[in-house]
Amino acid sequence: MEIFSRLFDQLSTFTTIFLGVFIEAAPFLLLGTLASGFVEVFFDKDSLARIIPRNRVGGAIVGSLLGLFFPVCECGVVPLTRRLMKKGMPLSAGVTFLMAAPAFNPIVIASTAAAFGVGRVLFLRMLLTAIIAIITGLIFSMQKNPQELLLPIEMDIHQEPQIVAPLMERVRQALIIASDEFFEMGRYMIFGIVIAAGMQTLVPQTWMLSVASGPVISVLALMALAIVLSICSTVDAFIALSFVGTFTTGSILAFLVFGPMVDIKSAIMFMGVFRKRGVTYLVLLPFVLTVLATVFINLNTSW
Amino acid sequence: MNGVKGMKGMISSLHPLHPLHPLQNNMSLRSYRSFQALVLAAIGIFLLEKIWSGTLFWYINQRYLILIFATGIGFLALAQTILASRQKKDEHADHDHHHKQTYSRWNLVIIALPVILGVIIPQRPLGTAAIANKGMNTNAPLTVNGAATSLELASTDRTVLDWIRAYNYESDVTKFDGQKANVIGFVYHDSRLAKDEFLVGRFALNCCVADATAIGMIVKSEKSASFADNSWVRVAGTVSAAEIDGKKIPSITAEEIDKVSEPEQPYLYP
Repeated sequence: MEIFSRLFDQLSTFTTIFLGVFIEAAPFLLLGTLASGFVEVFFDKDSLARIIPRNRVGGAIVGSLLGLFFPVCECGVVPLTRRLMKKGMPLSAGVTFLMAAPAFNPIVIASTAAAFGVGRVLFLRMLLTAIIAIITGLIFSMQKNPQELLLPIEMDIHQEPQIVAPLMERVRQALIIASDEFFEMGRYMIFGIVIAAGMQTLVPQTWMLSVASGPVISVLALMALAIVLSICSTVDAFIALSFVGTFTTGSILAFLVFGPMVDIKSAIMFMGVFRKRGVTYLVLLPFVLTVLATVFINLNTSW
Repeated sequence: MNGVKGMKGMISSLHPLHPLHPLQNNMSLRSYRSFQALVLAAIGIFLLEKIWSGTLFWYINQRYLILIFATGIGFLALAQTILASRQKKDEHADHDHHHKQTYSRWNLVIIALPVILGVIIPQRPLGTAAIANKGMNTNAPLTVNGAATSLELASTDRTVLDWIRAYNYESDVTKFDGQKANVIGFVYHDSRLAKDEFLVGRFALNCCVADATAIGMIVKSEKSASFADNSWVRVAGTVSAAEIDGKKIPSITAEEIDKVSEPEQPYLYP
C-alpha cells in the first residue's frame, strides 16, 4: 500500500504542476492566437512589406524590435510568427522576431525592471537577446532554400480578406481563426507541459541549484532549469531574482536570455512551424550563443 | 448546410491518406465545430470554477486573478462565436481550409486534457511529496523592497517567508535571538534534522506551482514525532539561529504547537 500512496502523491504533484503551468500559459497563448487572427484579417501583405526591409540585416534588426509592438511571450509568439511569415515576412525577420519578442517587449522590460531595477541586468538581458536573435535570424536566412527548414504553410485558396466586409464580420472571422489556432498550437503546448511537469515530478532539481559558482557549470545549470521550468517569459525575472547572491551574474543572464527563446513547451511548439532541422537550429544556435556570451561575462567581469 | 456539403464534396476527392479523408479518423466540419465550442466552453467554465471555489490559488499567484477571469470569459465568448458560425451557411471554408489537419477527434481530446485531468484526479495543493524533487531552499526569493517590509513587522506577525527573508537580509542573525515567533506551515521531517526537530514549511511561489520552492524554519519540540508530514500546524515559541548545510536558518524552540486546518491560500508570495 505504501507504493500506491507514493504513486498517488506523484500523480497528484504532476497534475498540480501540469494545471499550474497550463492555467498560467493559456491566457498568453490565447492572446497570441488572437493577435494572429487579427493580423490575418486586418493586415494586408502590402502594409507588412512597407514595415520590413527586404535585405537580410535590415529585416533581422526590425524583427528584433517588433516585439515592442507585439508584446507576446514564448507561447503566443509561435502562432503570430507563423502568421506574419505567411503574410510575407522574410525568414530572417521571422526567426529574429520568434527569438527576440518573448523577452524584448514592454511587459518583460517592465517586469525585469521591477525585479532587478533599471541597471545592467536589464540592459544586458535586452542587448544579448537582440544580438543572439539577430545572429540566429541571419544564419537562417543564409539557407538557400527556406522550405527545407519550414513546414509548408498551406496557401489560402481565397484572396485577401475583403476590405468591404463589415467590421463585426471581420472581427468574427478573426475570432474563428484564433480559436482554430488555439487548438492547433495548443496541442503542442499541452504536450510540452506534460513533459515539463513530468520532469519536475520525477527529476530532482536540487542538483541544479547546488552548482552555483563555477563560471561554466552555473550557466549550464540555470539554462537546464529554464528549459525544465518552462515558465512564461513575462514573469521569469522574479524567479531569476531568487538566484542572485548564490549564482553567478552570467548564469542569471543565461536564464533570462535563453529561457524565453527555448524551453520544453516552446521547442515542441516550434515543431508546428519548422521542419526537424529547423527546430534543431532554433534550439542549438541560441544555446551555443548564450553559453558563449554569458561565460565570457563570468570570466571577464567581477560582478 | 451548403458549406458542409461543399466540404464533403471536396473531402471525397482526397487521397485516402490525406488527414481530412473520411478514413482518417476525422469528422465533418459541423460536428467538429460543435465539439470545438464544447471544449472552449469547458476550459472557460473550468477556469471560472477554480476562481469561484478558491482553488485557483493552489496553482498560481493571486496576482493573476483578473487575467484568469478575463481568459475564462474570453473562452466562453469564443465558444459562443464558434457555435454561432456553425449555423451560418456561408461558413468560411476558405479560412478553415488551411486548418484542416486539425479536424481530428484526438486534437479535441488533447486540448480538453487539462479539464479531463482536473476532473478525474482529486485536486490538492503542493505538499511535502513535492519537496523530494524541488528541494528545501534555504535561499528565499528576495524582492527589492521585500526584506525591509519583513523586518518592520512585529516578530509574531512574520510568516515563514518573512523570517527566512529577514535571515537572508541581516548579516548578524543573532539579533533575532529571543524574539517570539508565531507561524503557520506544514510539517516536514527533514532527514538532516535531529529526532526532536522538524521543519515548519511553506511553498513560496512567484508565478505558478512550477517555480514553487519549499522554505522552512526548524522547530524544536519533544513531540516532533507525533506530527505527521504534510499536516498543518501553528507553532509559537522563541527564535534562535541554527544551521542546515552551513546556511543559517531560524529555529523555533516550541512552547505551543496546535494542529490547524490548511489555510485558504496555502502558498506565500514573495
